[in-house]
Amino acid sequence: MDFFFALALGILFGTGVFQLLRRDLIKAAMGTAILFTSINLFFLASGAFAPDVPAYVDQYADGKATPSDPLVQAMILTAVVVSFGSYALLLSIITAISTRYDTLNSDEVDELKN
Amino acid sequence: MENNIFIIATIFVPYAGAALALAVPKDMQKRYLALLASFIAWIFSIVVLIAVNEDGTQIYRLGGWEPPYGIVLVADHLSALFGFMSATIMLGGILYAVQCKDKSITSPSFMALFLTMETGLLGAMYTGDLFTLFVFIELTVVSSVANVAIGDSRFALEAAMKYLFMSSLGSLFLLLGIASIYVTFGTVNFADLARQLAISNGNEPLLTRASAVMLLSAFLLKSSVAPFHWWQPDFHTAAPTPLSAVLSSVIVKIGIYGIIRLTSLLFVAEQALIYRWLVMLGVLAIFFGGLSALRTYNGKRVLAYSTFGQIGFILLGIGWGTPLALLAALVYTFNHAFIKSSLLMLMGVVASRNEEHSADLEKVAGTGRKLHWSIGLLFFLGGMALAGLPPMNGFISKFLLLQSGLEAHEWLATSLAIGGGILTLIYMMKTWQLIFQQKPTETSAIVHATGGDGYLAPALLIAASLLLGIFATPLYKFAEDTVTSLDNPHKNYIEAVEPDNWRALDYQPFLGG
Repeated sequence: MDFFFALALGILFGTGVFQLLRRDLIKAAMGTAILFTSINLFFLASGAFAPDVPAYVDQYADGKATPSDPLVQAMILTAVVVSFGSYALLLSIITAISTRYDTLNSDEVDELKN
Repeated sequence: MENNIFIIATIFVPYAGAALALAVPKDMQKRYLALLASFIAWIFSIVVLIAVNEDGTQIYRLGGWEPPYGIVLVADHLSALFGFMSATIMLGGILYAVQCKDKSITSPSFMALFLTMETGLLGAMYTGDLFTLFVFIELTVVSSVANVAIGDSRFALEAAMKYLFMSSLGSLFLLLGIASIYVTFGTVNFADLARQLAISNGNEPLLTRASAVMLLSAFLLKSSVAPFHWWQPDFHTAAPTPLSAVLSSVIVKIGIYGIIRLTSLLFVAEQALIYRWLVMLGVLAIFFGGLSALRTYNGKRVLAYSTFGQIGFILLGIGWGTPLALLAALVYTFNHAFIKSSLLMLMGVVASRNEEHSADLEKVAGTGRKLHWSIGLLFFLGGMALAGLPPMNGFISKFLLLQSGLEAHEWLATSLAIGGGILTLIYMMKTWQLIFQQKPTETSAIVHATGGDGYLAPALLIAASLLLGIFATPLYKFAEDTVTSLDNPHKNYIEAVEPDNWRALDYQPFLGG
């Protein structure tokens, strides 16, 4: 389970970096969203001492099971909201750029020179 | 320790002001409301500063939850100094916005976003844990990007997009660093982290150094240091004047704050290694910034590149690592905020009186001769301060920095810093002469007699710079106390935050070393 989780994380991170480096602005924006997701999953993995255990377990009082860390999930929730906000802003700016410059190729959005 | 309500009040007042500014219908009401909110926040930041000066570190536990699980706001000497500086410059920026004639200021959400930016800035300075720091930094970034994107500059959208991409990447690495820290130590609270890092001194678990690198690069990106700076001149030039004044003077200082916090409190064991890098990056930034400012043809862009160079001086002070050098870096940070914000505002004042509303040096050349003499005088004083000539406050900060460099026997870096200082003098002289002494061309001679932004805010800030240059003792004394308190984080930070029933060290690291 750990291995597959790590593999999924790695694939997501790699996909995110690859998309971020694309010339198409929409794909690059999606790349940041994928990267944020992969980091959130990494965060999640750090909280669950065994990856498939819920945050609150009944048997915890008996000392039979280790619960996963609830603090991580609170932080991920915040991080998801934050990344969602900046992704929405990024997409809206890209929409405005596509109407003004009539292109989504980042090479052609280059009026800023000195 | 007792909760100090003024820390949360300083952060909350601009936020409440932002909500009210959205509700108020008329444009001028929004502006005066924002002015009022930032003034109250400024008063509260002074209260926090005085409390810290008299009684040492102040804390506020949000919702009464104990750290390390609850969020705690901490105002030690460093936070109080940076918070006061930020609140002052934000007040100046909003005062300028009240008198500003730019069309983008009349956008209904401008003042609200300005205030949420202040919330994020002050929150980032006062917070006591890494994750809240991340959230507040993102708040600052998102509100400043939205504000620049609605601006009336032709390049605003492109600059906003560029910055949002770069800064999302920075935030990603900040979050990844925080996650790595959490994996290793099971906490994101500064005090708890510092305690555990001090215990594991020299024998850190696996991910400690990696997370140090990720956090540092995120902070370097936020303060636009050499390899991460490409967004900065574009973004600060395309912003409306009141916004670019605060962006270029205090928002970039979030990174400086983070770097000082990381090296003095958390990663003390790696301090020497980080310091060596900071000195190299600092020298690179001084020359890159100075030379780029020389070959630029836009007044605001000259000042944006100059920020990039001046951050290099601050990094030198942090990187030399002696108490005097750190003191010089703090004084430099504080003084630079006043100088740079007032200069950018003055550039906006000149550009707004120009026919084309442009800060382009070709179009603005000679405009200054048609303006009231006081604008020229203010600009001259600001240029002197930036170049580090007496009696302005820039002289104090440069003098302290060079003295500390000589005392630390850093001959090479000190002489390079002197060369960079001369570059500053050259480009400020060039800009001043172009605007205020050159013969006006046909287009630049046309000056709006009635229009243009008011210049009360830059005048007050320049007066503050002059006063800080003549009466430098209070700032010097407080910076001295700050260095002393940073020298002993255990007594001044960890014990102040630590509750009596600090949990036992029962956490089993997921990825132990």
